[in-house]
Amino acid sequence: MSVALPIPGFPGRILAVTLPAGPGGTPVTVGGQNALPLLPEGEHPNAPAVGMEVRTGPLELPPALAGTIGPFAGDPAAMARKCAGDWGARFLFLSLAGCHPDAGGQSVSFGAAVVREVLSATPAPVIVGGCGDEEVDARLFPAVAEAAGRPVFLSYAEEKNYRLVAGAALAYDHGVVSWSPIDINMAKQMNLLLADLGFPPDRVLIDPLTGGLGYGMEYTFSIVERIRLAGLSGDAALARPILCHLGDAWKAREATDASEGSWGDVDLRGRRWEETTGLACLAAGADLLVCRHPSNVARLSGAAWR
Amino acid sequence: MALTAIDIYKLLPKTNCRECGQSTCLAFAMQIAAGKASIDLCPPASEEAREKLSAAAAPPLPKVTIGTGEREVVLGDETVLFRHEKTFYHPTAIAVSIRDDASDEEFTSRLAAIRRLSFERVGQRISVDLVALRCASGDAGRYARAAAAALEATGLPLVLLAPAEPLASAVEVVAASRPLLAPPPEDLVPAAKLAAERKLPLRVRARGIEGLSVALADARAAGAVSLVADPSPETPREAVAFATNIRRLAILSRNRDLAYPSAFDLGGGFPDPFLAAALLVAKYGSLLVLDSADPADLLPLLTLRQNLFTDPQRPIQVEPGVYPIGAPSESSPVLITTNFSLTYFTVRGDAEAAKVPAHLLIADVDGMSVLTAWAAGKFTGESISKMLAECGIGEKVTHRTLILPGMVARLSGRIEELSGWRVLVGPQESSALPSYLRRLPPGAFLPVHG
Repeated sequence: MSVALPIPGFPGRILAVTLPAGPGGTPVTVGGQNALPLLPEGEHPNAPAVGMEVRTGPLELPPALAGTIGPFAGDPAAMARKCAGDWGARFLFLSLAGCHPDAGGQSVSFGAAVVREVLSATPAPVIVGGCGDEEVDARLFPAVAEAAGRPVFLSYAEEKNYRLVAGAALAYDHGVVSWSPIDINMAKQMNLLLADLGFPPDRVLIDPLTGGLGYGMEYTFSIVERIRLAGLSGDAALARPILCHLGDAWKAREATDASEGSWGDVDLRGRRWEETTGLACLAAGADLLVCRHPSNVARLSGAAWR
Repeated sequence: MALTAIDIYKLLPKTNCRECGQSTCLAFAMQIAAGKASIDLCPPASEEAREKLSAAAAPPLPKVTIGTGEREVVLGDETVLFRHEKTFYHPTAIAVSIRDDASDEEFTSRLAAIRRLSFERVGQRISVDLVALRCASGDAGRYARAAAAALEATGLPLVLLAPAEPLASAVEVVAASRPLLAPPPEDLVPAAKLAAERKLPLRVRARGIEGLSVALADARAAGAVSLVADPSPETPREAVAFATNIRRLAILSRNRDLAYPSAFDLGGGFPDPFLAAALLVAKYGSLLVLDSADPADLLPLLTLRQNLFTDPQRPIQVEPGVYPIGAPSESSPVLITTNFSLTYFTVRGDAEAAKVPAHLLIADVDGMSVLTAWAAGKFTGESISKMLAECGIGEKVTHRTLILPGMVARLSGRIEELSGWRVLVGPQESSALPSYLRRLPPGAFLPVHG
C-alpha cells in the first residue's frame, strides 16, 4: 500500500553564505536549502554548522564548563586553537566582552590585538562580537575591521549602529550579523536597511536573539520558524541563514546550580541545558550554532543533517 | 480542509428560521466557520449537511487518552503544524521505563526514582507522565504483579510493553487505570481484540508509514478504536521524518487512516535517545518512552516541553510579589518590573549580574511587558503605588526609594505623589542594570525617619 505524503514545496531558497577561512583552513558555507530543517526532502546543499565561543574579559565558569574549557578560556589564542583543533568547532565566535566598561574595560586597541592574535592562531572562520556597550562598540568595530588580516563577520549590526558596523565591514570586505530582538519585522527591516547601504546580501547572517531553555527559548523557536517559513515562501529579505548563540542557556540556574541534588549531576545537566537549547534551534531552522561546551560541538553536529 | 462560511451556508436550509438563535442562516454559517457554533443547533438541517459538517469539525488529529482522573494523559487533538499559527494543545507525553525482571529492591528504587522526576518551574509542576513497563521476564504472572506494583507506587498511568499473554494478565489487574497496550508487532491482532473488548488505547507498531497503514487497518478491523501509531524508526533522523509526516497527513491531508498521535520507544538500544527525544518534543512526537530516569536528562526535556507547549498568545506569567536578588537587606535597592515571564527573567538575570543584592517587585499586569502594560493602563502611578503599599516591601526595607524602569520615567511624579516613595529613574534597557546598580550613590537608600 503506497501512502502519498503531503511534502510542502517552497518557491524560495535560503541564500548560501560563506564564512571565509584563513590559509589552510576550511570555510563554512551554510544556507542554500529550499526545504524545512531536519527532513529528507527538498535540497539541503549545506548542513548546519556548529562553532564555539572564545571570550575576553573576566570569566566565571559554571561547573560543567570549568572542568572542560577552564584551563584554556583565559587565553583567547590558546582557546581558539583548542576549539578549532581538538574540539571540532567549524568556526569561532570571538566575543570581545572584555572591552565593556563593567568587564574590565580593555582598550579598543587591545581588543583589536586579540582579534589579530586569534586569526593567526587558527585558520578557522571567525565571527567577532562586540562588547555590548554602544559607545565602546562604535570605536571597537572599525578598529576590528581594520585589524583583521582576513575577512571575518562582525556581530552585530542593529538598528542603532548598522551604518557604522556595515560601513566598517564594507571597507574591509567583512560580513555582518544582523541582529533583531525576537522580532520578524525588525529582522526584515534590518536586512532591507543593509541592502540600502549596498551591503552584499550573501555576507549577512540573521541573529534573532536566542533565549536559553526555560527562559524564553520558545520565543526564539517560533521566531526562527517564522523567519525560515517566510524566507522559503519567497521573502528574499528573510531568506538568509540564521545564527543562534546558545550562551543564554548558561544563564539558567538549572544549568549551573550544583546545590540542587534532585536535579541530577550539574556537569551533565549544564551540558544538556545547552544541548537542548541548540537542538530546539536546529529543529526550528537555525543554520549556525555557537556553543560553549566542547562536547556539544559533536552532540549538536549529530543532528545537523543535510 | 476547513469549510468556509459560504461552503457551510450552501449546506444549510436557507430558511432563516432563527431556531439556532442567529438571525439568518448566513450568520449561523459564519458562527460554524469560526468554530463558535455546531450544526446540532440547526434542527431542520439535512442528514447530508450534518455528516459533512461534523466531519469537517472533527479535529484532524484524534484525541487519545491514557489513564484516568487527575493523571489522565491526553495525546493528539492538535490543529496546526507550527505553534505560532495558533498553539499546541497537548504536550508530548513522556514515559520512563522499568523492567519486570528487576529484583524487588531494584524495582522499588526505580519506581521511587521515576516518581521523583517532577519539578516546579515558573509556578507550574512539570513531571514525567507515565511508567512504561517492559516485559523482560516472559512470565505473565510476574508481569501482572509488576504492573499492579508500578501503578500502586507511582499513581501514574502505565504503558504496557508486552506480548499478548502477559499483556492480557496485566490488563486483568490494571484495566481500570486505563493503561496503553503496547504489544510487539507480531501480537497486534490479539492485543487489538483485547483493546476493543476492554475499550483501552492501543499502540500500533509497524515499520514506517507504509507498514503503519496496514497495521492500523488491521487494528481497526479487530475492533480497536483508540490508537497511537509507532513507525519504529531506526535512527533519530528517521523518527523526526516519520513524526512530521504522520502529523502532516493528519493536518494537511486529513488522512483518517493514518491520523493518529505518534509514539516512539526510544529505549532498548535506540541510538542517541536524548537527542531524538528533544527533537521529537519540538517536532510532533505525541508519546515518548525513555529508559533514562536521570533528572539531568529529564529536567531539560520537560522544560523544553513546557516552553514549546505554552500558548504563544498567553505568555507564561510570573507570580506577582517581592523577589530577592541575592541576599538583600533592609537598605538594599528596590526595583520594579512587570510579570511577563520574559521581562522578569531578563531583569532578574541582569540584576543578578550586577552582584548587588536587591528586592525586585513584580507587578501584576496580566503578563505584559513594561511598555505594553503602560500603554494598556495596567502599569500606572496608581497601580504601582498600590503595590508599594500592599506587597509588604515597606517592612522589608527601611528606606523609601524605588528604581523605576527608564521606559516609564513619566510615572515618577505620580508615584511620588501617591505613595510618598522617592523614585529613581533606572535605565531604559535592562541590560544596563549592572552598571546602573553598581554606580548608585552610597547614600541612595538611607532609612527614612519619622
